[in-house]
Amino acid sequence: MDVATFRGRFPDLSKAAKLKDLMFLSRACNIHWIVAALKNVEYKNLRQLTIRLETADEPEETDDEDWQDLDRLLVQFWTSYSIRPQLGYAPDSKGRERVRLPDLLPELTKRELVDLVEYSHPA
Amino acid sequence: MGIGPSDPAWRGYIMLVGTVGITSDACKMTMMSRPLPPEILGLVIDQLYDEPTTLRACCLVSKSWIPQTRRYLFAHVDFGVSVHTFESWMRVFLDPSNTPAHHTRSLTIRNLPTSVPTGTDVGGWIRAFSNVVHFHFDPSVGAGHDFSLTPFLGFSPAIRSLRMTSTTFEVFDLVCSFPHLEDLALINLSPEDGTVGWSAPLTSPKLTGSLDLCPIRGLHSAVRRLSDFPNGLHFAKIAMSCGLGQDFTWATDLVSRCSETLETLNLRCFLVGTFSSAPPDRPEPYHPSWT
Repeated sequence: MDVATFRGRFPDLSKAAKLKDLMFLSRACNIHWIVAALKNVEYKNLRQLTIRLETADEPEETDDEDWQDLDRLLVQFWTSYSIRPQLGYAPDSKGRERVRLPDLLPELTKRELVDLVEYSHPA
Repeated sequence: MGIGPSDPAWRGYIMLVGTVGITSDACKMTMMSRPLPPEILGLVIDQLYDEPTTLRACCLVSKSWIPQTRRYLFAHVDFGVSVHTFESWMRVFLDPSNTPAHHTRSLTIRNLPTSVPTGTDVGGWIRAFSNVVHFHFDPSVGAGHDFSLTPFLGFSPAIRSLRMTSTTFEVFDLVCSFPHLEDLALINLSPEDGTVGWSAPLTSPKLTGSLDLCPIRGLHSAVRRLSDFPNGLHFAKIAMSCGLGQDFTWATDLVSRCSETLETLNLRCFLVGTFSSAPPDRPEPYHPSWT
């Protein structure tokens, strides 16, 4: 995936005022669009937030700044809106866990504000 | 204490009669001397809706039992590629106006006939499925890629759910031909053919259910077509795959158009063509043994 193609682009969900259930699926190396989209979401009716991440077989670089943003944002979700996110994680095709979510989302995991779920790769 | 139709013991008794008891002399005599009233027979058959073996046995009991059993035997029809094909259906039911197709509520077609005699109106057999509510067309495993969707236009006004896999942009004419359509899934939608013209439809379904949009290359053309629908878009659930950078712009556009109704959103961002969503939860189709 050409991550650069997606850099700076994100879906604007601000008009979806009745949104109750929101799910993102993405590669773990490309969460910038998720962070950007979450900053514009209308939370009034939101009840459930799910993020599912996949990793490739080859190691990929993750953007620490994006993960720090996501960590802060999800903590804020809980404190401000009582939304407890669920993070799904698919290991690579050999079952290896390339990205350790607790390391990338330290505050969220330390305060136990997230449900971490492993799911099988869709491919 | 008696047992009623909802009691498991009653259901077990019915299955026993359906599979074994019908061969007993006592049962034969009973059937010959006094047929079951239709409403009682209906209750019996209703209990066997998911027991195809027993239903087939019931078909052999009496001609009067056939219509009731066919209601369930042909409720879910799945035309495969090698066996139980559409061609075998046409061979068995030579007259398209006299088939059990009107019992079918869920229809899946994975392949279409390629070698029919000249002048054969395949559309006649398709239109016989006039009460289908869920329609899934998936020619990706068969030879149906180049088959025109024209025979399917409006074939069942009752359709609520349409799932098209590996299809072309011709599908949007099909969508507009089903007035009560609620749920739409377009999986592996081929890139738009620039040579085919498109004019905004005069009417369109309200589309109040779910949309699953997974084009092979970009959301752009699909969202533009949907935006031309005169009755607007009212989806409560949307799942879509973004494979190109500009897809986020079109995702935003689609979300805005459904902002009054949208409650569930599933956004996927993957490399183009690497993702295909799982089929919806549906009862397993029953493959009738007409061959």
